[in-house]
Amino acid sequence: MVKLTLIARVTDGLPLAEGLDDSRDLKDAEFYKQQVKALFKNLSRGQNEASRMSIETGPYIFHYIIEGRVCYLTMCDRAYPKKLAFQYLEDLKNEFERVNGAQIETAARPYAFIKFDTFIQKTKKLYQDTRTQRNIAKLNDELYEVHQIMTRNVQEVLGVGEKLDQVSEMSSRLTSESRIYADKARDLNRQCW
Amino acid sequence: MGTENPGRPNFPARPAATPFAAAPPQNVMPFSSSGPLVGSEASGFRPTSPAAPQPTVPFSSSGPLAGSQSSGFRLPPPPRYTDPSVPPPASNVPPTGGPFQRFPTPPFPSTVQAPASRVPLVGQPIAQPPAPPVSFRPQPQIPPVPMGAPPQSVNSAPPNVNAPYSVSDSSFPAPMTNFQSSFPGYARMQSNADLQSPPMQSSFPSHQGGYAPAPPTSSTPFLSHQGGYVPPPPVAAPLGVQSRDQMQYPGSGPPGSIQGLIEDFSSLSIGSVPGSIDPGVDPKALPRPLEGDVEPKLFSEMYPMNCNPRFLRLTTSGIPNSQSLASRWHLPLGAVVCPLAEAPDGEEVPVVNFVSTGIIRCRRCRTYVNPYVTFTDAGRKWRCNICSLLNDVPGDYFAHLDATGKRIDLDQRPELTKGSVEFVAPTEYMMRPPMPPVYFFLIDVSVSAVRSGMIEVVAQTIRSCLDELPGYPRTQIGFATFDSAIHFYNMKSSLTQPQMMVVSDLDDIFVPLPDDLLVNLSESRSVVETFLDSLPSMFQDNVNVESAFGPALKAAFMVMSQLGGKLLIFQNTLPSLGVGRLKLRGDDLRVYGTDKEHMLRIPEDQFYKQMAAELTKYQIAVNIYAFSDKYTDIASLGTLAKYTGGQVCYYPGFQSAIHGEKLRHELARDLTRETAWESVMRIRCGKGVRFTSYHGNFMLRSTDLMALPAVDCDKAYAMQLTLEETLLTTQTVYFQVALLYTASCGERRIRVHTAAAPVVADLGEMYRQADVGAVVSVFSRLAIEKTLSSKLEDARNSVQLRIVKALKEYRNLYAVQHRLGGRIIFPESLKFLPLYGLALCRSTPLRGGYADAPLDERCSAGYTMMTLPVKKLLKLLYPSLIRLDEYLLKASAQVDDFKNLEKRLPLAAENLDSRGLYLYDDGFRFNIWFGRALSPDVAMNLLGADFAAELSKVTLSERENEMSRKLMRILKKLRESDPSFYHLCHLVRQGEQPREGFLLLSNLVEDQMGGANGYVDWILQIHRQVQQNP
Repeated sequence: MVKLTLIARVTDGLPLAEGLDDSRDLKDAEFYKQQVKALFKNLSRGQNEASRMSIETGPYIFHYIIEGRVCYLTMCDRAYPKKLAFQYLEDLKNEFERVNGAQIETAARPYAFIKFDTFIQKTKKLYQDTRTQRNIAKLNDELYEVHQIMTRNVQEVLGVGEKLDQVSEMSSRLTSESRIYADKARDLNRQCW
Repeated sequence: MGTENPGRPNFPARPAATPFAAAPPQNVMPFSSSGPLVGSEASGFRPTSPAAPQPTVPFSSSGPLAGSQSSGFRLPPPPRYTDPSVPPPASNVPPTGGPFQRFPTPPFPSTVQAPASRVPLVGQPIAQPPAPPVSFRPQPQIPPVPMGAPPQSVNSAPPNVNAPYSVSDSSFPAPMTNFQSSFPGYARMQSNADLQSPPMQSSFPSHQGGYAPAPPTSSTPFLSHQGGYVPPPPVAAPLGVQSRDQMQYPGSGPPGSIQGLIEDFSSLSIGSVPGSIDPGVDPKALPRPLEGDVEPKLFSEMYPMNCNPRFLRLTTSGIPNSQSLASRWHLPLGAVVCPLAEAPDGEEVPVVNFVSTGIIRCRRCRTYVNPYVTFTDAGRKWRCNICSLLNDVPGDYFAHLDATGKRIDLDQRPELTKGSVEFVAPTEYMMRPPMPPVYFFLIDVSVSAVRSGMIEVVAQTIRSCLDELPGYPRTQIGFATFDSAIHFYNMKSSLTQPQMMVVSDLDDIFVPLPDDLLVNLSESRSVVETFLDSLPSMFQDNVNVESAFGPALKAAFMVMSQLGGKLLIFQNTLPSLGVGRLKLRGDDLRVYGTDKEHMLRIPEDQFYKQMAAELTKYQIAVNIYAFSDKYTDIASLGTLAKYTGGQVCYYPGFQSAIHGEKLRHELARDLTRETAWESVMRIRCGKGVRFTSYHGNFMLRSTDLMALPAVDCDKAYAMQLTLEETLLTTQTVYFQVALLYTASCGERRIRVHTAAAPVVADLGEMYRQADVGAVVSVFSRLAIEKTLSSKLEDARNSVQLRIVKALKEYRNLYAVQHRLGGRIIFPESLKFLPLYGLALCRSTPLRGGYADAPLDERCSAGYTMMTLPVKKLLKLLYPSLIRLDEYLLKASAQVDDFKNLEKRLPLAAENLDSRGLYLYDDGFRFNIWFGRALSPDVAMNLLGADFAAELSKVTLSERENEMSRKLMRILKKLRESDPSFYHLCHLVRQGEQPREGFLLLSNLVEDQMGGANGYVDWILQIHRQVQQNP
């Protein structure tokens, strides 16, 4: 079941729209929203280029798609079919592009398309129950394939930047230390002569 | 003070004459001048009993009455009495003159003249001193006896602290205790004066002779003004002179000329008619605000970049530079803020979006960038005008400075040129995505609600407003009804008609459905319409008399808590079931006048306040609509509105035929006016001053953040400020109001109003810059708050006391040297203050006692007045009275002419001509008064065949003739000009009691009514108190 839905611009992480009463019955809504924001920030720095991705976090899982420099992200229970989640995002994407496509680049304030929340709300309801005829049909749709979408862990994703930093730091330390070693070795060599 | 004054021995050498020479100008002048100038009351009594006043001298001098400044004047005489060892006044006329003049006005003369002539006064609870006089009166006859002692006592213990009183107490026990008890505030004031007196002392004694009575600050202006005789000017003197100059001749006239002064204050002469002891005052000459509210121009002229006064008004735009000066300003020092006031077309607040730089704010005090910040360092830095910190200018905001230090891009930067501006808030200012407008209706459907017809009007009104609800297409709407159970309505868009769900377990409230109780209006529009169409008939046979108000409120809260929004409650009975049930604690006559009186006006059950706190936390604003003809405990219900930024609308004895139109209009306005959601407001001000108390409908979060779940253009908030530092060093104080809110369209914005006000060192300047509208607004809120913790009478007395103190202070500034002894003088800016004060004391929340206003009406009026913007409040306090018949009879007059014809009359019965037709308009209702001798033609034209019937049963409607159409046009025009509330029209004929009484006569504030003062009496009473122990 869909817990959170957020739409943001990838270039600068500006939130464009968000599902309305998404945080109902969700205890740690704030915590997960923070994670989403961190994720958007990462995306805006040009990492995780994959246009479709699933990221595990606690009992939930984020699914997102990036299209036309907009990231559509939803958070679901882990048990919720991945296929449905991505179809939900596709639906949002299609409608969002149709309605707001032209203005996405020029949006200058946060939640500039907050009016889209009514559509999010409506669509969400359609996907709520996995056993409706409509959703079963979608699940069986073999044309829509989600197997190859990578699943990663949120720590891993949010930690990626950190690790890269670590690696570059270590390598730079290695460079400088090897230079010292070279100097010392040269000195020693001279002394030996 | 004097006792421990080391200065005393320093001046023994001074010739005795000097004090006299010096003293007369101070003490005697007013007296002697008052005689010739205007036969002041002093002259009236002087011949009758020269002895009488004298015994009282000790009184007046010892009386704690006078403010700090008066003590200086009071003290001088006693020593002189004792010096000659024989006190009789005859021996040293000049000194007596001083006390005499001052003193006469107080108890004795006043009692001799006024109370005797005006009986009602005596019985009436007069503010402070007048009470003693009553008991006092016989004493003039036995003067000489105590006379000797008191002066000595005063002399022996010069300080005007307690010692002298105790002595004099023995001789005049009653009056003394009276005085003291009635002036609890003075002790503090005096000590204030003491604090500052040291510098002055040196000057004063120098010409006063051997004793050093430690003249307080205020005396300095006098001294300095008394002419050039002031010896080596000690610190205080130049101060006085300088301040006088500043204030008096800022450009008005040649220094020193009386003409210059005339612009500073107005005066009224109160003389006695020769041969009578009845002091006359010309009622026609009294000032009246017949032009309505006038916004202070001076302020905006001085600082053209200030925000418009409709958004922010200061009680005085001269901010005192020291605590001692502030303590002499006895009126409230503060501001009235109406952050969303409606701006006329073309003056909308500009919206600014800092996309790349983020909102520019001061790093330290978080002030928003505004027209008063200064750019330095070639435009790379800006200095905060409030805390003067130097901030960096972000790269994207950089602009070069021109030769005068102004940014070259100034014309493209409204935030640097306009006092009011709106910033688009970036994500940091959001706790969550902007909420949609949410309206939830909680409607009482018990039998009384059904019978009153309220449900029908409400349903129709809501239905007619569906198109105009702000925030399409996101607007959310929901309904619940209740009697002894709670009914929820599933409005899912796929349904054809709503499903009703009944919850009757009141102890453990639950919401029967997770979604669809609050639905998107645009999607569920047809279901909502079906519901509203069927609502009136759904309950038409309901006979349930119970009201599970508390549980229903909780249920509504649960439904709304996800989003917040506006909760509109329509309540027709006293809550009787479940939590929050209320008792018929009733409006008990016996409680009035006791210490428990105020309990009637505060919520009985803690439930209401706790619930209000919860509601605010979840961004829910509550508007209460109450309709009962019986007691519904508005005091308790209104608490919900008070702490959630809502409002209370009360329609006592609602009948749809009569009040329907009013409810329709006011509910429609509530639903359709532009509303700011989930907002918080803060007012910042410069260093050295701080806002310390806030008054209005809101909940305070932290010390200075007002939580306002909903705000609209009809709400204003008052706040008071105090000086934190003893002396302000800056020239200007800046104020900045910031309201962070979500607009109905889903944008998060910050509305910022900035204003600057000069710091002044002189009291006269403070008076000159006073804004009577703001003063009265703050005053009213304070007085209404006071009724929640003490008796009505105390609240009224405190209003009167503060007015008296203020005028007394003013009098001390000017009266003496300008020979205005017997006159009432008041600053031009505050000339309406006494009248508004009177009107306030007679307004519904404060008037009379048990019988004068039903408790619920009192409370609801109180809640309403706490929210009113300045203009509306003044209109309510001093409504307009217009004569209509002449205009109606004029043949071809067009409505446009009406503007010119509209001449407001003073609110006194003597202005009602029995041949006339009058319109009384207080912003909430029209009362049309038909004179007894009004031409029957007019009545017939306006009322048709009903013209002779009892007017309580007649409603005004348009008839088929020009006159009637003309009248309706006028009313329509007036209503349009003031759309916040609907003016319900009441018709009343002269002599038709009791309707005439409560509709009109009791509201003619200038007339004496029951125990309440008329304008003339009030002025005289205030004047007397002002002159007491000056």
